[in-house]
Amino acid sequence: MKSSRMLVLEVSGILMAVVTALLCGFVVIFLTSSEPFAAVSALFLDPLSSWFNVGTILNKAVPLILTGLALSVVFQSGVFSMGAEGQLYIGSFLAALTAVYLPGLNPWIHLPLVLIAALIGGAIYGAIPGLLKAYMNANEIVTTLMLNFVAILLTSYFVNNQFKSQGGGYAKMENIDKNILLAKIIPGTSAHAGILIALAAVVLVYLLLYKTSIGYELRLVGKNGHFARYGGIATRKIIVISVMISGALAGLAGIVEILGIQQTFKQNFSAGLGFDGIIIALLARNHPVGVLVAGLFYAYIQVGAQTMQYGSDMPREVAVIIQVMLVLLVTAQAIFTFLKQRYAKTEQKAVK
Amino acid sequence: MVWQTIWNQIIDLSLIAVLFRVMTPILLAALGGLISDIGGAINIGLEGLMLLSAFTSIAVGSSTGNWALGVLAGVGVSMLVSYGMGFFSLKMKVDIIITGFAVNIFGSGFTIFLMSKIFGVTGNYSPSKAAPIPTVNIPFLEDVPVLGKLLSGHSLMVWIAFLSVVFCMVLIYKTPYGVHLRSVGEAPQAAQSLGIPVKRIQYSALAWSGVFAGLAGAFMSNGLTNMFVKDMTGGTGFLALAVVLLGNRNPIGILLGSLIFGLASALATIVQTVPDAPIPSQFIQMIPYVVTIAALVFFAMRQKRKLATIA
Repeated sequence: MKSSRMLVLEVSGILMAVVTALLCGFVVIFLTSSEPFAAVSALFLDPLSSWFNVGTILNKAVPLILTGLALSVVFQSGVFSMGAEGQLYIGSFLAALTAVYLPGLNPWIHLPLVLIAALIGGAIYGAIPGLLKAYMNANEIVTTLMLNFVAILLTSYFVNNQFKSQGGGYAKMENIDKNILLAKIIPGTSAHAGILIALAAVVLVYLLLYKTSIGYELRLVGKNGHFARYGGIATRKIIVISVMISGALAGLAGIVEILGIQQTFKQNFSAGLGFDGIIIALLARNHPVGVLVAGLFYAYIQVGAQTMQYGSDMPREVAVIIQVMLVLLVTAQAIFTFLKQRYAKTEQKAVK
Repeated sequence: MVWQTIWNQIIDLSLIAVLFRVMTPILLAALGGLISDIGGAINIGLEGLMLLSAFTSIAVGSSTGNWALGVLAGVGVSMLVSYGMGFFSLKMKVDIIITGFAVNIFGSGFTIFLMSKIFGVTGNYSPSKAAPIPTVNIPFLEDVPVLGKLLSGHSLMVWIAFLSVVFCMVLIYKTPYGVHLRSVGEAPQAAQSLGIPVKRIQYSALAWSGVFAGLAGAFMSNGLTNMFVKDMTGGTGFLALAVVLLGNRNPIGILLGSLIFGLASALATIVQTVPDAPIPSQFIQMIPYVVTIAALVFFAMRQKRKLATIA
């Protein structure tokens, strides 16, 4: 089979999964809502009904794209990390410290410093489960899940004590200087410059994965670790590197969310962005361009769920049904095997 | 002074009471995770299953006024969703980790959806006529000074949890089903060639994990709090998952693991209630997670050494 045909098959399969997931959402809405048409239209049309809402979609998509990229890198190396959430907290905490406690710098120097701090913080925190996995063979699913809790509690402790803002009772850091907050980029909307950072990250991760030797080795390790090792690739090093890159991207996701929306580091501010990233990476089949599309789509559903909550009698949690069905159907190997077999059969017939 | 207060609480057996309360859901859910793990299907959806059961259990329990019906309904729903997991992972070939992950998001979101649709509240649902799982007071024994406080006055579910350990030992090591389960988990192809229905065994293993996670969830809403709070399991399912991986694949190991985890949580609870505690509560809350990582590394290293000596 030609690879372009395979791509078409893959994409149409994913589209079918998306449609089925949406239908499941509809069924639930029609079963439980007294005004189902209003609910469905609020879910699908309202997010696009105003420029403001479109801006919100873009803003929501930014951290999703970044955590989605983070997880696609690590998934491609065959490591099933669930740790983006923790890495996001540590990375953005370090970056927020840099933002708040290094005042008086030229913003053109200060902002890059802050972003680099986020990358470093996330990478270091990612290195822990990476090293444990590579050299101790400790199950990465458990270590990363546990490290998430540690990161959340650790940062919560610091913003409740040493680094607590003086004003107000909230557990948060002092506000970040306006100079380095991300500016609004589209007049009339809320969209901030984070979307540019996300787009740049998509391009960079694509180049990294498909145009560099590290990317090649990383994907090879993910496809067949034994083969890669016999081929002379330092499998362990590659695993650690991939988790560190992933952590760096997760940290970036956190600080971009803070610089664009939150304006300071707040306790528990992420509310599961790292886990949403897992969904994005799964939907995207770990491909950076797919991550961009999946991130935008997922943000659209999230904003739709919100507008539906305002515009009808449905709570926004209905979206969870769509999300769960998306995850399950897109990752269902049986469906794709079936499609490919069907395709192979029609191909054979055509030959006869 | 502060240490004195903490020490007093530990000494006067409050610790035991708290320990039993916090370790029960961990133990039950971990036993469930154990059975599916032995059957070769690691269930990371325990947290979601617990939430679904916790909600169903309190909703049915309070509307019927019967705690037993509530618990049964909770267990039933959790079992049903586990079968769904089986459908997606065994039939549709979704990775079992992803299936579990999906169940976790589903459990968290869908319980909030149901709560707002059925009861019109979004944060927590506390029914006026709750039907709590009864506590067991052992006659005569409850008046004996130390023993009474140690053994009497615990929730029925605490005893069910301890009995479940025995039940699982019998199920896994003394029944034909247990033999099939273990062989399916260790060498599915070999089991298949011997005529063991591999898929059916794995479905049932997942269903068992649903049953025990269901009991754990029902205990959290109907036993501990008499209300449902969104995301009330707060990571208990993940702790249970960690216990599964630490428990050396047998019920006694699970019991010990739950004990360690329960102890850490119980200490955190006690220290948190003491004013001016010398250790910040966040650090005590961290203990179980750090212990898990440390223990996982320890086990992994030991396994590595074992492999090295064999080779």
